[in-house]
Amino acid sequence: MSLLELNGVNKIYNPGSAHAVHAVQNLDLSVEKGEIVALLGSSGCGKTSTLRMIAGFEEASSGQMAINSKEINRLPPAKRGVAMAFEGYSLYPPLSIRENIAFALKAEKMPATEVNKQVEAIAALLEISDFLDKRPNAISGGQQQRASLGRSLIRKADLHLLDEPMGQLEPQLRALLRGRIKHYIKQHNLTAILVTHDQTEANALADRIAVMEGGVLQQFDTPENLKNKPANIFTGAFIGEPPMNLFEAGAALNDTEIHLRLGDDVKLEFPKARFSPELIERVLTNKSVVVGIRPHSVHLAETGHPAEVYANQWLGDQTHVAARFAGKSIVSVAHDRVRCGPGEQVNVQINPEDLHIFDPATGAALSHGGVLA
Amino acid sequence: MDHTSLLERWLRRFALALIVTFFMFPIFWIVLMSLQTNETILRSPPSMAFVPTFDNYLAILAGRLDSNVASMGIDFLNNLMNSIILSVSSVAVALCLGVPAAYAFARHKFRGSEDIAFTLLSFRFAPPLLVLLPLTLYFQQIGLADTYLGLVWVYQLICLPLILWIVRGYFEDISPDIEYAYRIAGHSWFATFRKIALPLAGPGIAAAGLLAFIFAWNNFIFALVLASADKQPVTVGALAFVTASGIQYGQIAAAVVLSIAPTLALALWAQRYLVEGLSLGAVKG
Amino acid sequence: MSYLDLSNIRKSFENETVLDGISLSVPEGGTLVLFGKSGAGKTVLLRTIAGAIDPDAGSVTIGGQDMTTVPPEHRGIGMAFQNFALFPHMSAFDNIASSLTSRRMSASEIKRKVQDVAELLKIDHVLTHTPKALSNGQKQRTALARALVSEPKVLLLDDPLRNVDAKLRFEMRLELPCLLADRGATVVYVTQDYKEAMALGERIAVLDQGNIVQIGSPEDIYKRPANTEIAQLFGDPTVNLLDVVPQEDERGLHAFLSDQRVDFHGDFPGVAGRDCIVGLRPEALSFTQNGGFPVTIEAVTPFNEKTVTLVTTLRGREILVSQPAQSTVPEGPEQNITISAQDAILFDRQTGKRLEPVTTGERVEEAA
Repeated sequence: MSLLELNGVNKIYNPGSAHAVHAVQNLDLSVEKGEIVALLGSSGCGKTSTLRMIAGFEEASSGQMAINSKEINRLPPAKRGVAMAFEGYSLYPPLSIRENIAFALKAEKMPATEVNKQVEAIAALLEISDFLDKRPNAISGGQQQRASLGRSLIRKADLHLLDEPMGQLEPQLRALLRGRIKHYIKQHNLTAILVTHDQTEANALADRIAVMEGGVLQQFDTPENLKNKPANIFTGAFIGEPPMNLFEAGAALNDTEIHLRLGDDVKLEFPKARFSPELIERVLTNKSVVVGIRPHSVHLAETGHPAEVYANQWLGDQTHVAARFAGKSIVSVAHDRVRCGPGEQVNVQINPEDLHIFDPATGAALSHGGVLA
Repeated sequence: MDHTSLLERWLRRFALALIVTFFMFPIFWIVLMSLQTNETILRSPPSMAFVPTFDNYLAILAGRLDSNVASMGIDFLNNLMNSIILSVSSVAVALCLGVPAAYAFARHKFRGSEDIAFTLLSFRFAPPLLVLLPLTLYFQQIGLADTYLGLVWVYQLICLPLILWIVRGYFEDISPDIEYAYRIAGHSWFATFRKIALPLAGPGIAAAGLLAFIFAWNNFIFALVLASADKQPVTVGALAFVTASGIQYGQIAAAVVLSIAPTLALALWAQRYLVEGLSLGAVKG
Repeated sequence: MSYLDLSNIRKSFENETVLDGISLSVPEGGTLVLFGKSGAGKTVLLRTIAGAIDPDAGSVTIGGQDMTTVPPEHRGIGMAFQNFALFPHMSAFDNIASSLTSRRMSASEIKRKVQDVAELLKIDHVLTHTPKALSNGQKQRTALARALVSEPKVLLLDDPLRNVDAKLRFEMRLELPCLLADRGATVVYVTQDYKEAMALGERIAVLDQGNIVQIGSPEDIYKRPANTEIAQLFGDPTVNLLDVVPQEDERGLHAFLSDQRVDFHGDFPGVAGRDCIVGLRPEALSFTQNGGFPVTIEAVTPFNEKTVTLVTTLRGREILVSQPAQSTVPEGPEQNITISAQDAILFDRQTGKRLEPVTTGERVEEAA
């Protein structure tokens, strides 16, 4: 049995009025013990409403929510066994950072030495040891956020809810703290749900990511699968930095090859054998499809389809090359420097195993890498 | 769950009704009074049942005040005219002076600018009588006593600080970047003031002007001391209803209704600006 | 030939020095990126060039003309603001046209020019909308169009992509250099995003507390950062900084990480025995089967395009390793990682400044 179970949960604000907002629609979600799950989406996608319903700050309009098989719909927040770190830090202003972090432990009547030990440990982890005895208003926003995160993580709770836990964090610390926090959560066998709009954060921390848009769960899967097997155009385009290249294409078939015509001037030709027979049938019945190619799979090579470079940007550890291709632009990412300037012709090579094919009408994925989705 | 929200809705309605009653009752009562004769007003216990009469209004419009004892002339319409002249010109002068000053205070921080602005505001705090006594003497000497000009001048004590402080806030709310952008686009500072700052602070200026108008309209003490009968506004003119032979409640009520009518109409008409102006703050880029 | 010259610009606000004697020059048609954390003085400097802020001392020269006391409307510049600064009471068309209405220009010519630039920026279909009705991306393009339409010789861009979403920011980052090159304007671009700085700048000036701490090409700054702070500002994940005391023997300067020898490339006279910091870029590190130094894997945090692994050395020091997403992290917690000598950057621990390897032997510290 899962630790957290959401079944057909809806949230409607101002029901029945002209301003009714269906913020969360028919959400099914289950989180296993020891798992880190990210709710990912742009603002207004319903992720924060979902978190607040789990925490008990909002009532679900309908549907069941259960923690450890016990229904929590009507339980007050304090009785749900959840710990929460808020986006707006929400530290108690009159208490020092140390007292803030220790607050919940003291309430549990833990001996003072043990409390101190745990606070020191989490403070070292979050790099806040130096200002444990300061008041919240004497430290920066990023430091407050780390303290707030510490106050939540130190608690023994069935479920930790983290609302945009790293949004204010100093960029130089992010990568390191992500690693440490992930290690901490795994080591202590905590279960965590984090809400974020930053896919880098979700990817780095989460075992599974729930991608939401317009109150609807688009896909709930591992970062790996979100990247390699996006369920629809939305997830495909949303996940990935730089975003996936998308082209409308016309599909055609002869005895040996499949042709995908992108725009007016590009025809991708692939041997039939690289696609599964079911897929060939589906693609053919569709005729017009949307083709997606990740920038990392766009190779610049000696041979291939000609494209004209308009930007070549080296960012230290990777190079982004953008070129005019099929009446649009195509972006290629390489991990070394690429020498080609604006205006130059390059050849774009695309392998059939890197193709994502979507239905243009529904947006649903038809195939990934030559295999039916 | 629908339960609670339904209860909540009803509670909210009830609270709203209570507040509306509290604030509207005096106005409602005075309108009722203005439609009754003194006898029906004063009967005990009071009753809502009466035959409405427009005699009070007719008396005021005719300029004749009749009581059961005597009859005297009263020039209420002239008072109304005075109120309009005084308030409109005071606000006009205050806007012409206050808006550019507010802009200067908002945009150019110079040494002592805060102090000057605060001194101007502090005129609002001083008890009017304190200012009035010496002022009366001066006015009599330089011939400003009992003139519209002198009154409008004194009314600036009410209008100018109000406009200055409210409008200054609006100018400060306009991102300086918006004005820089217009200047960088090749326009002079004056064009920027006219084309960018003024329109964007428009709702605020309207709200401040309206408030200043209402304050000027309701002013009593300045006009009481500085104006003779033919320059008196309605607030002072209403005193005439308190006669030696008794107080003419019905006519006072009618006069009050007539005198609040212009400000009420103005406020209703400009409600949109007022709400926008007083609650929201100005523009966000 | 330089077109825009700043000489010894100083500015303080109420005893706080914001610009501490800044001198810069940008060649005609060139792009200079001003990079720094918030509060470094970038925006004040840009406004000084625009004429919106008067400097306490120093001069601004544009095209050979001293512009220090010239009001902004006569400097012939275009500017785009971080918060867009669109005129809320005017349509997108009037916003863009405002850069032209102050000139003697016929209405039809204004219309044609606005139309042209709107088409270029793909906002010609929303010209009648007021800013309120525009999406963030459209606002940003309108603001850019307003700056571009009068074909200014100097273009000042104040973090123009800050307030648009990641996807749009990425697209614009690719498009902008082309667009700017086509216009031939001399560009000063302010940003806090190191990726933007590297993508756009032929030259990047790094500002800190009102001073220029380093100025150079993206490659200079990434590979040869003047100090540890700049090294940390450029790169995601951020550079690993480890305290070391390098030793010297016949094989050259080296230090020990996890009891294993790590060599430094080049001669560093006088550095042996000094307290130093070694900077290791996460992407320069890689897992290896033979050699290298032993580490324990703590957590694997995949990014989209790369996988970042947090490892600790035998002494418990933390190191981030970044690899292309296609390559896999080896199984098991105990692994070895390696770095090539060229990629280790050496800093002085006391000053934080980078130590420059020399071949001739005299110069040790690079002047920042």
